[in-house]
Amino acid sequence: MSEKIIVIENLVKRFPVGEGEFTALSDINLSFEKGEFSGIVGPSGSGKTTLLNIIGSLDSPTEGSCTVMGKRISDLSHKQSAQLRNMHIGFIFQVYNLLPVYTVFENVEFALLLQKRSATARKKAVMEALEWVGLEKMADKKPSKLSGGEGQRVAIARAMVKRPELVLADEPTANLDAKNAHAILQTMKKLNEELKTTFLFSTHDEKVMAYLNRLIHLEDGKVAQDEWVTAKSTR
Amino acid sequence: MKIAFKLAFKNLIGAGLRTWLNVAVLAFCFIVIVFYNGFLNGWQNQGRQDAMDWEYGHGQLLHANYNPYDVFSIQNGHGNLSAEKTEDLSAVLVRQASVYPKGRMNPVLLKGISIDQKVIKLPIKLLAQSDVEFPVLIGKRMAETLKVKAGDQVLLRWRDKNGTYDAANITVEAIFESKVATIDNGQIWLGLDKLREMTGLTNEASYFIAHEAYQPTAIAGWEFQALSTLLKDFDAAVQAERIASVIIYSVLLALGLLAVFDTQVLSIFRRQKEIGTYIALGMTRNQVLKIFTIEGSMYSIFGGIAGIILGAPLFFYTLSQGINVGSEIEGMGVQFADVIYPTFGLTLLAGTFVILVFTATLVSFLPARKISKLNPVYALKGRIS
Repeated sequence: MSEKIIVIENLVKRFPVGEGEFTALSDINLSFEKGEFSGIVGPSGSGKTTLLNIIGSLDSPTEGSCTVMGKRISDLSHKQSAQLRNMHIGFIFQVYNLLPVYTVFENVEFALLLQKRSATARKKAVMEALEWVGLEKMADKKPSKLSGGEGQRVAIARAMVKRPELVLADEPTANLDAKNAHAILQTMKKLNEELKTTFLFSTHDEKVMAYLNRLIHLEDGKVAQDEWVTAKSTR
Repeated sequence: MKIAFKLAFKNLIGAGLRTWLNVAVLAFCFIVIVFYNGFLNGWQNQGRQDAMDWEYGHGQLLHANYNPYDVFSIQNGHGNLSAEKTEDLSAVLVRQASVYPKGRMNPVLLKGISIDQKVIKLPIKLLAQSDVEFPVLIGKRMAETLKVKAGDQVLLRWRDKNGTYDAANITVEAIFESKVATIDNGQIWLGLDKLREMTGLTNEASYFIAHEAYQPTAIAGWEFQALSTLLKDFDAAVQAERIASVIIYSVLLALGLLAVFDTQVLSIFRRQKEIGTYIALGMTRNQVLKIFTIEGSMYSIFGGIAGIILGAPLFFYTLSQGINVGSEIEGMGVQFADVIYPTFGLTLLAGTFVILVFTATLVSFLPARKISKLNPVYALKGRIS
């Protein structure tokens, strides 16, 4: 039996709007197993990013529970949340969010600095991560010198360098052309297969969906459909 | 903490011109503060030393009726002391008189001091080598006032102890140059024995200058004033100047710190996504807060280092050449050497550095506190207002 790394039960998320409240997510019950390559899909405003943020312990549920790596998000202190993200979760953002004053190497190295790994161990891990995404020759470049595709590959290396159990990718291909989007997705799929890292996407991009094994359709903050599919694109 | 320093350092270096502008402003503040305080310290040290060397020795024993600031006290402000009580003391007798250079009348103080004295630097022994009948010694300022030079004769009129006027031609034997204006302006120095003979005040003195070995004891009719008491007015003048300077460089420092504060406020607004990314990558809010606060501190650390490096030529130049403040400033009533040599001690440099870093850290921390409360989701979306 596979290990469940995310368990969501009766999750509700509301945001204050003016004097009232807006329900972004309601009655969400999901679980994800190690090694999944899944996506939360749906139109804009359906609650995909909100759910991803809660799973990533950047936000907390209003009701219900979300347990990641055995830790209940709403029970975690700021420090424990940070620890969870640092040790177990990698993030990939739509606009890459690379730190502009650092080189490619330093951007990838960042998470390892927080883990207080030795300089030798950091260098080895960073170069390995850059090799995964084919950017080992661009280690000294600043993010401003990279193309969109290269920037997102650096973001993938940064998310993967610490070998997390879970990678959360929020619209990772939204700013990329089709060619780069496929290259990125193939890289992530490869890492998923080789390292057994769980990837969870938030997307409404058909190109991404073609790579996913499981699609969770969100509509108006509710799970409309949860389907296992055979990935159409494997390369 | 090491990581926070490392990241803050990279952020500052990466920020380029913005960083160097802040550093330049803080370096300027540092140089001005150090330079001005160095000047005041130099003035105070030099002024105190000159006052000791030329006027006060190691304190003064004044006749109870004599007040150096009251000319009316001169007439009766004198007395005599037995030889055993004047051991390690040099007597000075003060009398009023008038001189008439080129027909003009100038009121003066006649000061008689032993030709053999060594307690102050006044070159009175030059009078011993003179072959003129009535040699006197005056200072450069007095010579300018009287418009006389060495060798000139001037008519002197004085009164003896009975109030009878007498007059004689005095010869300016030599003109001395001292940084202490209060032993020069309006004063004519002559041998103590000569003045006692002129005035009939045998063995009398208005005050005594103490040698280093002098041990003050209570003597009826006389009052000992320690060096600290004699320099009280001078120290107060320096202190007043120091307070005024604090106001000046507080304003200057405030302007420098405003630049840091402004940068921090803008940074937090402009670098929201970066802050959100830090948190997403596993930093706590407090760790991010620490980075931003250290960035502010580093401006001041760089500013201080740049201030030392850029200010060094100025500091060394003024240390060797001094600062020419000119003789015009003497009218302020406190001793001012023509050239002030500043004192840039380690305490001054380190103290200024610490003040700069502390205040910059504080003004960086104040806007950065917002980070400890922000929502990382909003930060990632750049929605912090």
